Parts: sequence; structure tokens; C-alpha cells
Amino acid sequence: MTAATNTPGLRVSRRISEYAFLIFCWAATAVALLFLAAILFALLKQGLGGFLKPDGHGLDLDIFTRSTPAPGSQGGLLNAILGSIMMCVVAMVGAVAIGVMAGTWLSEFAGESRYGKVIRFLNDVLLSAPSILVGLFVYEILVAPLKGFSGLAGSVALALLAAPVITRTTEDVLRLQPTALREASVALGAPVWKTIWSVIWKSAQGGMLTGALLAFARISGETAPLLFTALNNQFLSLDLTKPTANLPVVIFNYALSAYDDWRRLAWAGALLIAATVLTVTVVARILAREPRRS
Amino acid sequence: MNAQLEAMPETAILDLPPEVVKLAIKDLNFFYGSKQALFGVEVAFAANAVTALIGPSGCGKSTLLRTLNRIYSLYPGQKATGQVLLDGEDVLAPRVNVAALRARIGMVFQKPTPFPMSIFDNVAYGVRLYEKIGKADLEARVEDSLRRAALWEEVKDKLHQSGLSLSGGQQQRLCVARGIAVKPEVLLLDEPASALDPISTARLEETIAELKSDYTIVIVTHNMGQAARLSDHTGFMYLGKLVEFGETEQLFTNPVTDRARDYITGRFG
Amino acid sequence: MTALADTPTTAPARTARGVALDKLFEALCFGAATLLLAALGGLVVSLVIGGWPAFAKFGLTFFVSAEWDPVQEIYGAAGAVVGTLVSAGLALLFALPLALGVAIFLVELCPPMLRRPIGTAVELLAGIPSIVYGMWGLFAFAPWFAKHIQLPIMMSAKPGTIWETITSGVPNGAGILTASIVLAIMILPFISATMRELLLTIPAQVRESAYGLGSTTFEVIRKVSLPYVRTGAIGAVMLGLGRALGETMAVTFIIGNAHGFPTSIFASGSTIASTIANEFAEATGKLHTASLIALGLVLFVITFTVLALARLLIGRQAHA
Repeated sequence: MTAATNTPGLRVSRRISEYAFLIFCWAATAVALLFLAAILFALLKQGLGGFLKPDGHGLDLDIFTRSTPAPGSQGGLLNAILGSIMMCVVAMVGAVAIGVMAGTWLSEFAGESRYGKVIRFLNDVLLSAPSILVGLFVYEILVAPLKGFSGLAGSVALALLAAPVITRTTEDVLRLQPTALREASVALGAPVWKTIWSVIWKSAQGGMLTGALLAFARISGETAPLLFTALNNQFLSLDLTKPTANLPVVIFNYALSAYDDWRRLAWAGALLIAATVLTVTVVARILAREPRRS
Repeated sequence: MNAQLEAMPETAILDLPPEVVKLAIKDLNFFYGSKQALFGVEVAFAANAVTALIGPSGCGKSTLLRTLNRIYSLYPGQKATGQVLLDGEDVLAPRVNVAALRARIGMVFQKPTPFPMSIFDNVAYGVRLYEKIGKADLEARVEDSLRRAALWEEVKDKLHQSGLSLSGGQQQRLCVARGIAVKPEVLLLDEPASALDPISTARLEETIAELKSDYTIVIVTHNMGQAARLSDHTGFMYLGKLVEFGETEQLFTNPVTDRARDYITGRFG
Repeated sequence: MTALADTPTTAPARTARGVALDKLFEALCFGAATLLLAALGGLVVSLVIGGWPAFAKFGLTFFVSAEWDPVQEIYGAAGAVVGTLVSAGLALLFALPLALGVAIFLVELCPPMLRRPIGTAVELLAGIPSIVYGMWGLFAFAPWFAKHIQLPIMMSAKPGTIWETITSGVPNGAGILTASIVLAIMILPFISATMRELLLTIPAQVRESAYGLGSTTFEVIRKVSLPYVRTGAIGAVMLGLGRALGETMAVTFIIGNAHGFPTSIFASGSTIASTIANEFAEATGKLHTASLIALGLVLFVITFTVLALARLLIGRQAHA
């Protein structure tokens, strides 16, 4: 080693490869950030147009007050926004219930059992499984047998995508809770369910909330599984047993349409969704970082 | 030198008169999976007295403590054989309702374990589990418990702040208050002062000394000074066996077994 | 003193209920965990049942034929499978060096002040919904790409060379290469995040002793850090690949949606996911639907294999 560093020729080549390497790492990061900036810029430039009056002067709140229009006429995204919110809320209620319970089982009851390992592994696979396959699955079990697309089917598909995320984060944060805390509660005579309910979940609630927010961020922009579960609906409807309008599918249909008005709405919708998802992601990250009081 | 040559006994266990015994342990063996951690422990703890358990790390003193309220049964694979008689009834019997048992035998752990809730709710937690009592009674019980744990004066104006906001020493006394609020008969303390500074330790020791009149207290400690100051009886454990048990003063000044003498005079451990 | 077994000290009813509730609570948790297993199992079964008519009709030709003709009711998966593998493979090719660079930058080179903002910014790339990538890719990136990269390359290709063949196509920017580049951006944050976590698991002493011998950053990374996390790093790459294979909306926007084998990197193509997304809701007949579901099963088998390998490798690293 010493001999090598004393050889002038080697030293130069080492220096060159070192600099090339450093420059590459800086450049790679710059490229990633450049892409982020380009996407956000295009999104803002095109998307903000949807919130202005067609002549470009003054705010236009039609987006939030009117439903999707027929080609060539004026309209907004009200039905899609409402449909998306309803489906996501229903999906999150189901996903949180299943995910928290399943994560609790993995952390508190499964131990090193074989069944626990299998579930942990398959949950991780489900976590990154293609969302479109979940859509096909829900189509097969709900849409085809009941002979109809519905918002509820969309919710089930979204819940199946969110539940594995919540399961994983719940298990991870529960495992971080000190054993002594569980023992202290049990030593007072508390049953195990009460210990988990009032002490462990409460102690882990910050991390669990982060997990739920990340899951919400994931499903709120999901399009593929909704294409053939919730389908779409031209009109404002609060009935989740019928096809339900939702932002992602409306954006998909309108973006690829030939009408300028529709494309304008698609960009506005894309901005709306991206802003929601990114805000939720950032909030979740900040929550996760907040030092625990101790 | 000649006196030393006299054969010293392998073990020396003091028999307590039956009328003072609160907890009697008979031929207790303990297993972590296939690894045996306690071997035929046989001893009794007196009511309204403090018993200290001392010995080098890994000697089984904490394991013995964890057997008494069956906290070990949270973990599959850990098991105990033998008898632990609380007022003559076997705690280890399979039909025992462990939750009810643990309400009668309180425990305080090495590190403070305040729950993520207010100071008041921390103390009321165990009470609410087993008793339906009115608001006024509950408040009285919380105050009484905090007073006995010598914490009341420090927290009476902030009962609804988080228990996590207290200092380490205060948190540990909060855990004591939480333990005695359910009115247990026995109090198990597992190295309760090991994470505390000297001043907090002194306060905690005062608290324990005052609690003695109402409870049967068993304390595990690695601090021999603490054992000597606090306890009436002391048990010395080594490699999973109870080697010597007797009056604290006698054990510290004139131990009968080799092992105990070597440990107490600082030759090992 | 009352008997411990039957009459707990104070409130017998409450403790009896406590025991019952404990059992119920554990059963509920167990049920929820099992539900996840059932979901995955149900997914496989439903894909097999739904796709069965297609397998029954076409047999093995389903996997080797690239013909996809809803009018004549002839369906073959090969075009979409090749499109999926090629686009995901190219995406990985682009994303891997970038992701490594980003991860190393964040762990080794980044000024501490910038570490958090840059780290968050890269994570945001993962948060952008797929459909937004699709719109950006089709309306902003593809035209720019066509004008500044595709056209010059096509112009420079000498007629009659192999270079001309693999760069031929309509210069509108939408095609396999563009889709791969957008996919690369989408999977970059996943690979770099896992890579970064892996690099942080290397004990400080190992790195410090390498530096202590006079190694440069490059040498430490190449000779010490990367070999140290090798297994997990391969897992991270597989995880990225799994994402790229199943990615739907962005690809559907950009890839051009042409059936058959792709002929050049600029040509339009299709992937399994994009074919399903485009055609499923408007499938013309039972066989069409079945063929699309059968495609889904093929995608599931491919991604499951890749993801399972990824998890096994990452898991092994974590325990090493």
C-alpha cells in the first residue's frame, strides 16, 4: 500500500478516478433533482391554468363547484374530487383496521412462528405488487359477480393497496416499543389486549399515524386499480354502489382526449393530486422525525 | 487461620417462623427454553418486611423475582416448576388467574416505565382495571398513592401533564405510586434505582422504607450498600441457586458460606 | 384470603372478561393477518380462473406468439412480455448508476446542512403519482426528447447500418426508450433509499480503517462499502426492477401502445400492464377479457419472482 501511494504514476490515476467518481455522484444527484424540478415546473405551469378563467384573468373556482363537462362546455372536477375523497376515506377505514390489527399480530403475537414469517414475507410482496393486478382481482371478485362497477369496489382495491403499508409500519413501530412498558402494564394486572390498546398503541401512535399517512399518499394517486373497479361517472353522485367518478381516472381519460378544455381540467386535476400527495408525504416525514418526548 | 479450616456449609437458608411468612418458595426451578436458570430454590419472604436479593449478574435474582408474579408467562418457552405459595396458595398452579394475581403482587422495573398518558392516568390505570369507583374516590386514591411514593408535593399542580415529562427519579416514584395504587400485598422491585442518580436513589430508598409497614417487599439490587440499608432479610444467589439467606445484619457481617463471604468482601462479582 | 383460581381479589367478572377479551383480541389480530394472506392467495386464484379460457384456447402459443388481434380473437402474450422486460430492463440500466450516485452522495459527500432537504427532495420523486409522471412524460418530456435527442440521433445514423434499424421510428418522442427513462426516474428513489440505508449499516470502524490506509472515497466505496452490502444491494435493485415491471399508468401514457415485438428503441410498444389498462374496461369479448387476465397472471409470476428474490436478499443482508 505504502509503495503504491509513493508511485507517482499510480497516484495520478487514482486522483483522476477519484475526481471522476465524485463528479459522477454530484451529477447523479443533480440529475435527480433536475427531473423533480422539471416535473414540478410543468405541473405548476400547466396545472395552474385550470384554476384561472379561460381568458387568463381572475381565479376560477369552477374546478371545485362544477362537475365534469361534456366536450366543449364549461365544467369542473367536483364529482371526481368528491368521489376520490369518498373512496379514499372508505378504503382508509378498512385498511387501518386490517393493517393495525395485522401489524399488531405480527409484532405482539407471531413471535418467531413459521406462519408469522410467511405472512411477514407475503405482506412485503403484496406491498410492492403491481396495483393493476389488485384491480383485476377486485374486478374478478366484486365487479364481475355483481355485474356492475362501483365506488365500493374501487375502495376495496385501494384498501388492499394501503393495508400492507400500514401492516408493515405498524409492526415496525410496535417492535420499537420497550418490552418493559408491556411488562409494566401486565404487572399491574392488565390483560394483554388492554396493555396493547392503552399503552403500546398509544406510545406508538406517532409512528402509526405516519404509516397511515404514507398509505393514504400512496392510494390517493392510484389510477390503475380504479380503471375497471370504480370506472367513472359523468355526474355528481354520492352513491358508492354505482360507478363513481374519481380524479385519477378522469385525468387519464381527459389527458388523452382531443379537447383542450378537457386537457386543461386534466392538468388541473394532476396538480391537485400531486399537491395533496406531496403535502401528505412531507407531513408524514416531519411527523416521523419529531423526537419522541422522553 | 485454624478457624477458617473448619468446613463451611455449601448453603445456609434461614427458616422463618410460619406466622410471618407471606411468600413461600418450594423447590423452584426455572427454564428459558431448555436452559435452566434456577435450581431448586427454597426460601420464604416475611410479611411487612423488606427482603433483598443480591448476587453477581446472571445469578438468577431477577429471574426469581419474575417468577413470583408470573410475568415470565408472557413469553412462550419460559417455564417454572415447583411452588410459590402466596398466603399458602400456589401461584404457579395452572388455574390461577394471572391478571388477578398480578394485581396482588405489584412490580417496579429497572428503568422507569411511565405510560404515555397523564400523571393522574398513570396512577389511575391499574385502579380502573379492577375497581369501579367514583371520581372523588379515585382522586383520593391517586393522591394517597402519590403521597406514599413521596411524589405528591412535586406533581400536585401538574397532574394532567404527561408522565413522560417528569425527571428519571420522579418517573420511578410515579411507577411506585402506580404499583401501590392497586393496593397490592406484595411489591417486587427489580433494581429500581439502577438508572437513577444518587439523590433520586436516596429519595426512592426513603419511600421504600416507609412502605415497609404495609407491604411485603422484595428488592433485587446489585448495590450491597442499598441491600444493607433497606432490608431485614437478604438472600445471596449464585449460578441459579440460593446460597445463603438470613438476617441482613448477620449475612453482611458474618456470612456462613464461602461464596457469600467472598462476594460480600469483594473477592468476586 | 380467597382462592386465587376462582375468585380473583376484587372483581371476578372483570378478570374473567379480561381473559375472554384477550382471546378475542388475539383472534381478531390473527384474522386480520390471515386476511392479507387470503388476499394474496385470492389474487392468484382469481387470475388463474379468469385467465383459464385463454390458456385453454391457445395453450403454449399464448406465451410465444406476439399476435394480439381483438378482431380475429387471436391473442399472444409474447409482445407485451418482451415489452415489459425490455422497458424495465432499460429503466434499471439507467436508474442503477444514478441511484448509486445519489445514495453515495447523500451518505458520503453531501454537506450535512443539505442532507435533509436533498434527501427529502429525492423521496418526493417517489411520492409523485404515476399518472402525473405519465402526463409529464407524454406532454412535456417526450416532445423535448424527440427534438433534442431522438432527431439528432436518427439523423446521425448512417442508412443501412444496424444503428439505423434500432433507432428507426416516428420522431414524436413516445416509445420504449422514453418510457424506460421515465420509469428510471420513478424507480430511482426506491433504489437509492434502500441503498442509502444499506450503506448506513456499514460499521464506522470498517470504513474508517479503509480510509486510514490512505484509500480515496472511490476506493473505499468500490472495494469496501459495496462488497460489504452486496447481497442487500442486489435486493434493492430487484425491488426497483419489480416496481418497473408492474408500473402501469406512466408507461401507458408514453410507450405508444402498439402490439407485437418492438423493433427499435424509439418504436412504440406495449407492456403487460399498459395493455391491461388500455383494453380491459372495453374488452370486446369473453376471450379478450380472459386473455388480459391471463396476461395479468404472467405479470404476477414475473413480479412475484423478482420481489420474492429481492426480499430474501435484503432480509439476508439485514441479518448478516
